[in-house]
Amino acid sequence: MARDGIGKLTVEGVAREAGVARATVYRTFPGGRDELVDAAVAWAVGEFFTGLAQDIGPVDGVATLLERGLMAGRRRLAQHEVLQHALQVEADAVVPALAPVMPKVLDELRSGLADRLREENLRPGVDPAEAADILARLVLSLIGTPGCWDLDDPAAVRALVRDHLLAGVLANPGQ
Amino acid sequence: MPGAAEALTEALGDGWADGYRGAAELERPLMDAVRRCVVRWGLRKTTLEDIAREAGVGRATVYRAFPGGKERLADAVLCHEVVRLFEQCDLALAAADTLDELVVTGVSAALGVMTEDEVVRSILTHEPELVLPRFAFHQLDRFLDVAAALCRPHLSRFLPEAAVRPASDLLARLVLSFGFRPPDWFDARDPDAIHRLVRTYALPAINPPEVSPS
Repeated sequence: MARDGIGKLTVEGVAREAGVARATVYRTFPGGRDELVDAAVAWAVGEFFTGLAQDIGPVDGVATLLERGLMAGRRRLAQHEVLQHALQVEADAVVPALAPVMPKVLDELRSGLADRLREENLRPGVDPAEAADILARLVLSLIGTPGCWDLDDPAAVRALVRDHLLAGVLANPGQ
Repeated sequence: MPGAAEALTEALGDGWADGYRGAAELERPLMDAVRRCVVRWGLRKTTLEDIAREAGVGRATVYRAFPGGKERLADAVLCHEVVRLFEQCDLALAAADTLDELVVTGVSAALGVMTEDEVVRSILTHEPELVLPRFAFHQLDRFLDVAAALCRPHLSRFLPEAAVRPASDLLARLVLSFGFRPPDWFDARDPDAIHRLVRTYALPAINPPEVSPS
């Protein structure tokens, strides 16, 4: 996939690369090529976020967690050669392949964030599960596409997290 | 205030895509024909000939209207839906007396299109792979530019210049995410739910105390 792209991934190619018979590939991925692509993308996404969690390390407080997550996520995505290449030349194949995986990523992220938010001093009326859902969606969107935010600049990321993302969520987002 | 189509064309000055730009100026009957074709056959199977037949015009007219050809039809439909959305709610947005009212109106209208419009629903349900790439990674930047151009005249009535782009950026992301994958705790058809979403979560995020007008 890294060498040829998702569009050219075939059961034959994978069998040849792994030095196994086509039947072996089909036994592992009975759905053939489509299942192979889904599995490969799910694996790459899992690896990305496991690595990201390691980059972030142990953190106190949801504000610092979001700051580190945004910066490390952006850095990791920018340095991810396979994904960068794929997004340049075959975004139309990558994005649909990511679609089945992202709800699981979103679930994990929002349940982790909700646990964090329950330990924080929240603004009146804020529900931790709802806030976590919104934060998880925005963070994933920002890592994929920084838009008008400079995610390489710690001061800019701090302002994004404390003045915007958490402004409606925490009672004292600045602290 | 420039119309939505002009704002869009300006935002796409470097040419987002031929089809996309052209569609901003398309005449309604042609786009209505496109909408009927897409609902009936899907985006992928709709040909420019189908559109010509449905609209009762010559093929040359359709080819002129879609210089990017069938390949750009998805962009054209997206563009048209965005412009239509802003044209439909332009008066209501312009009439809003507060930022709160403005954002509630805009978010309601945008989520309404994404969750209830027949054409958008049909594409998102049956052929999401044709449009999702436009809303992810580097391609999302173009849509954020479009959203900024269309939101700017309205948001700048209530926000200082430095806060306008961040606001349209965050609102566009929120609406896209909620529209593509509605959360189970949120009902886009419930006005109270939209009010609560905007007041509790969206407004503080786009109008932080540090940059709010004094």
